[in-house]
Amino acid sequence: MSARSAAQRIRKAIAVVNAVADGAGDEEITPTEIAEAIRDCMELPEVAAVPNVRKYLGEALDATSDGMPADFVAMTLYAALGALQEGLPS
Amino acid sequence: MRSAEGRGRTLEEAVDAALIELGETRRNVDVRVVRESPDETVVEVTVMDASAASGASPVNGKAETVRTLLEGLLKHMGVRASVQVRAGSDPITLDVTGRDLGALIGWRGETLRALQSVTNVMVGKHLNEGERVIVDVERYRQRREHTVREIALRAARQVKMTGDAITLDAMQAFERRAIHLALEGDPDVTSSSIGEEPDRRVVVGPRKPADA
Repeated sequence: MSARSAAQRIRKAIAVVNAVADGAGDEEITPTEIAEAIRDCMELPEVAAVPNVRKYLGEALDATSDGMPADFVAMTLYAALGALQEGLPS
Repeated sequence: MRSAEGRGRTLEEAVDAALIELGETRRNVDVRVVRESPDETVVEVTVMDASAASGASPVNGKAETVRTLLEGLLKHMGVRASVQVRAGSDPITLDVTGRDLGALIGWRGETLRALQSVTNVMVGKHLNEGERVIVDVERYRQRREHTVREIALRAARQVKMTGDAITLDAMQAFERRAIHLALEGDPDVTSSSIGEEPDRRVVVGPRKPADA
């Protein structure tokens, strides 16, 4: 799994959360599905290799379990994505 | 607010007809499809009045607070742009305008979507439960909604002609929503979504008798 794939997986989690926030009207996404998408990201070795990424993903997971608004979860995932991109070798 | 009705063979032609009558450009207007048939499209084009938007602040203090917060955020980001509340918008819609704001929109609107998330988190305590703010940069979101609505109507026409379902490109949730809304009143076609985020796609197909 490359760093690019790790970023894609975080983007996928963001898209799931955004679909809840924007209300596409074509799917019912449960907090469990959001949590699964975030856990999928946390399993990647790249996440452990770059500082703060796992921390932000953990915060996003906690926010999901605490029932925080989707925008808050999305913002935390964006922070994880940003940290991943900043921490990657250019 | 000024508005005009436009008619044409396609959505594009109908909008252009109304714009000519109003003497306006696409940037400053809101378009609503009134009727869509294979032969003719009828739209209502309304001019978005910027002065009315700023004048709305005493009436809607909440919108003004939200506008100020977003303006402050952009200033901290080093972005030179002005923020206005879109007149008569529900939910509150903030229009960000300025020069070279492409970076604020990002690839397929990703940065704009992030900006909207951050804005909603910042202004959350000023909003009611479940209330949200929409952020638009250079009317990108509005233009995308119009574009996908146009795609939806074109796909619907094709489905009616051929009887075959059409799968559209992967789209964001707000774009899929625009498509479902555009086609919900059509008695001959139906729309649904398939796949997983972020590759979720809308399928436009013929409505079966049981669906009607």
